[in-house]
This record gives sequence, structure tokens and C-alpha cells, in this order.
Amino acid sequence: MNSRKISVQTRDLTKRFGRFTAVNRVSLQVYEGEIFGFLGANGAGKTTLIRMLTGLLKPSEGEGFVAGYDIWRQAEAIKRHIGYMSQRFSLYEDLTAEENLTFYGGIYGLNRRDIENRKRELFAHVGLQPFANQMTRDLPLGFKQRLALACALLHDPPIVFLDEPTSGVDPRARRNFWNLIYQTAQLGKTVFVTTHFMDEAEYCHRVGIMHMGKIIALGAPGRLKQKYRKSTMQDVFIELHRLSEEQA
Amino acid sequence: MQPIWYLIKKEFKQVFRTREMLSIIFIAPMIQMLVLGFAISTEVKNVSLIIADFDRSRISREILQAFEHTDRFRVVGYETSYRGIETAIHRWHAQMAIIIPADFGRNLQRGLQPEVQVIVDGLDGNTAGVALGYASGIFQRFGEVWLQQRAVARAAAASPPGHRVVVEDRLWYNLDLKPEQYMIPGIVVVLVTIISMMLSAMSLVREKEIGTLEQLIVTPLKRYQLVLGKILPFLILTFIELGIVLMAAQLIFGIRIAGSYTLLAGLAFLYLFATLGLGILISTITHTQQQAMFVSWFFIVFMILMSGFFVPIENMPGVLQKVTYINPMRYFMYIMREIFQKGSSLQFLLKDWLPMTAFGLVIFTFSVLKFQKRLT
Repeated sequence: MNSRKISVQTRDLTKRFGRFTAVNRVSLQVYEGEIFGFLGANGAGKTTLIRMLTGLLKPSEGEGFVAGYDIWRQAEAIKRHIGYMSQRFSLYEDLTAEENLTFYGGIYGLNRRDIENRKRELFAHVGLQPFANQMTRDLPLGFKQRLALACALLHDPPIVFLDEPTSGVDPRARRNFWNLIYQTAQLGKTVFVTTHFMDEAEYCHRVGIMHMGKIIALGAPGRLKQKYRKSTMQDVFIELHRLSEEQA
Repeated sequence: MQPIWYLIKKEFKQVFRTREMLSIIFIAPMIQMLVLGFAISTEVKNVSLIIADFDRSRISREILQAFEHTDRFRVVGYETSYRGIETAIHRWHAQMAIIIPADFGRNLQRGLQPEVQVIVDGLDGNTAGVALGYASGIFQRFGEVWLQQRAVARAAAASPPGHRVVVEDRLWYNLDLKPEQYMIPGIVVVLVTIISMMLSAMSLVREKEIGTLEQLIVTPLKRYQLVLGKILPFLILTFIELGIVLMAAQLIFGIRIAGSYTLLAGLAFLYLFATLGLGILISTITHTQQQAMFVSWFFIVFMILMSGFFVPIENMPGVLQKVTYINPMRYFMYIMREIFQKGSSLQFLLKDWLPMTAFGLVIFTFSVLKFQKRLT
């Protein structure tokens, strides 16, 4: 059905912390150029899954491949091919927006000319030129998040992981950020994004819905709405929750 | 190498933009050095002295003048009764009393051996002992001068010269018994330890706290690059610090250094493996800057107390003396004082810098291995 190349693939991926299973046998495939949304309540296991895929955590069991590399044995190779934006804003507040970009450029081993070029491109891409020389701590949260996205895209990775990139900002800033995500996908990049806002799920090409560490539904938003006969993803999500509670 | 260079540049930008950091690095050490340098002193000066002269002769006045003319003593009063002396000492007015009995001068001239009474408040044993030493020194000198004068007067009578054993003391290395000469090198060691260990621990934990460490972990940065990039800035800062305090030691306290600066810097470098290693170790076992600060202080207080900085190691109970061998500061404290006072050589200090370096490398390696480039 799908002839596109696979960007991210997992099979029965599991993470246990002591007796608690945060991610329970998750299997999924994400294709190149796709915006894949990962939905679920807080504590459903979204962040843990992303952390395993980005090499921050070692899985307990199962398989995973990112950009063709094995998450068990090739974590360092994966790191060159992914961008990552963590759940909480994590850039240096006491550096300017530009200095943050320069720093990450240097860390990724870009040469000075590439760093300058990429900075110009990305400031234009995320619309941050007027703030380039402002101290990061003085930027509004919405702009900080755009800066974080710019940092994640700096080394031109084919895959970006965005962990709740829009939490804490107002609806207009969220809409602007999603426009950026679209533009990013149009550049041919795979976007793996987690969220707990159901309206954002509508923007994704495909979504996986997570509950208690398990994927309980996977597919395009339109298909899921059809299948559960609901008009919004919000209703789909509530319905799925009800069903899984009943099962339990 | 490039990523390390960017890490160092970033760290310096951050340090020089944070006023608290700047004051911890540059102002606090100066204050600590000034305060500790002047306050930690084993020297005894201005001992409050009370005098009861029942003799009132020319000789007794000469003795008392000797006490009035030295800054070791400060005459706070004259008493005419034993009761008065008792009260003065009891109420902390005086620490020492000198009682010259009636007929002292006349008995001395007659060739008898009259006695003088010295009473010292023994609560502060160290001060009392030192003050008593000064006092007997003054009496002794007076006695010698007096005998000489008599000898000159009696030269004609050709009396046989008295056979006496005279102790002539010479102090080596610290000629004028300046306490700073001994304390300042120790303070330099303490400051260098605090800066390198605490700041490196705090800076690493801060990255953990604000989430940038997580961001760095998902970059292709190698572990050794990350560790070096975080450690080198503090190595450099510590050397700047060392330069500043050494300069202050000379300009403010007039301390001279007998040995070579190169040797001092080289051995400081070896010592920093231990302190920077401990800094990394602390950052791996703590999660917030407060915790890191607390644990650092725990280490630093232990290290200072067990280094011989205040209490000489030879004065400690046997078991504790053995414990000091696992304290890297112990070695560097000794090395620093040796180089400052005696200009000791690398070979001579071998028995100190060898264990110090071994200890430093073990700590450093262990900490770097423990510092995982993964979360939990």
C-alpha cells in the first residue's frame, strides 16, 4: 500500500522502570516526509518512547530503527540524523538567539560559513530575524519555541522529534507553529510530534493514540473519525478511552 | 576539537554575563583571603597587662619600661593590691599581671636573687604560653644587660667570668615569625579547591536542571568532548584565580615565594585532576544546584579539616592521621607550603605529588566513566 521509505520503525518496543511499564510493546512505522502525531494523556508514555528513539534512554525490550540505524547499537549514528526539541524549553537563556544557534552549529561540527548560512536560512524560516540579538530569556515563549525548532533543524536532519512543542503557548502561536511544522515537512523531513491537544491531531498525516503505554489506535485522522463515527479527533479520543476502560 | 572550542566559548560567555558567578570567582576569594589572612593568626599581640610595683626603685621602673615599649603588651593599669589584680583578671580587664615585690631593686644590688611574680590568665592556653614566653624573654634580657653593666663596673676587681649555657635561637624559613607566611599558602589551596570543584559541579548540574544537558546528549557530541568542554573553562578560571591570589599574597601580605612558579603551577595542574574529578562526580549524584552546593561543601569542609590547614596533622589522633592520606588536599597543602617557604624541588616533593596525582587520576577516570551520555 505504501511504497515510501520508512523513517522510523519499531517492533514490540518496551520500556520498564522497575515494575512500571511506561511503554508496552509498541510497533509502528513512520514514512519519509510524514507528519506523524503521537497522542495521549500526560503519562501515557509518549515522552519515554521519544527518548528511546532519540538515544536518551535504553529500551528494555523490542526493536527500533531510526533513519535505518539500530537504536540498540547505533545510537550515536542516529544522533547525526535527527533533530530533537524537548518537552520543556531547553536552550541557554543567557545567550542571545543567534548565539544559541551558533553554539549548536559548532556542536554539530558545521564549519563557520555553513553556520552563518544556516542561521540566515533558519531565522527566515521561523521568522526570528528581528530577535536575533535579543537575550533568549527575554523572548516570548512562542518565539523561544521557534528558536528551539531552528536549533533542532540546524544540521539539516532528515527526521525531527518534537516533544509537545506547543505546550504552554496561546492558540494563535500554536497555529503559527503548526504552519512551521508543515513547511518543515514540505522540505521532505519526517516530523514526529507528540501532543495532548486533539485539535492538533487533525493537522497530522497519521496519528498513533497511546494509552497506558500501549498504542490503542493508529491511522490517518480521517480514517479514525470514520471508523469510530465521530466528527472530531477529540471525540475519537474520548471514545477510545471509554472502550479501553471497559476492556480493563 | 571544534565542538570543545564552542563549549568553552559558550561557558565563558555565560560566566562573564552572570554577576553572581563573577563575584564568586573574583570578589569572594579576595575577601576570603583578606579576612582569613589577617584573622587566622597564631601571633600574640597586645596582651593586656596590669602592673603592681611595690618596689618603686630605679631598677623596677627600668623593667616596667621594657614592657611598656613593646607591642606584645599593652599596659592597662597599675594596681597597689593583690585583690585589685584578682578582680582585674576575673573581669577580663587584664590577661597578665606582673608583681614586683618591695626591696626588689635593693636585693638585686646586694647580689641576692629576688623574685618577680607573673600571673597569667590560662583560659586561652596558647596565648598564655606565648605571652609568658615573651615576658620571660624581657626579664632575661634585662638580667643580661644588668649583669654586663655590673661586670664592666667590676672589671677592675677581675672577678671570674660566670660559666653559663646560653640558648641562642634562630628561626629558619619564617624569620620574623609572620603567621601570614604560613597561612596564606594554605588559603590559596582552599580557594583553588573551592573554585575548581564547586563551580564545575554547579555548572554541570545547572545544565541538567535547565534541560540543556538532555539537548546536548541528543547531539553527536562525544562524551570526552562534553567533559572536556565543561572542565577546561574551569581549569582556565582556576589558574586565573591562582594568579590573582598569588599576586595579592605578595602585594598585600608581602609574602615571598622561595620556590619556582612553574613547579607550583605544574603541581597545581596535577591537583586539579582530583578537584575537577570530584566536581564531575558530584554532578552525577545530584540533580539541583542546591544539592550540588551542599555536597560540595560537605567535601570541602572535610578536606580542609583533614588537610593540616588549621590543625597540624601530627597533632591528630593516629586513626585520623591515616584518614588524611585519602585527602588530596593534604598533599597539595604540604606541597604549597614547602614551595612557598623552602623552595623545595620536584624530587623532594615526590612522596606528596605522586600519591596526589594517582588519587586525582583515579577520581577523574571514575567520574568520567560514571558521567553517562544517557539519561538514567
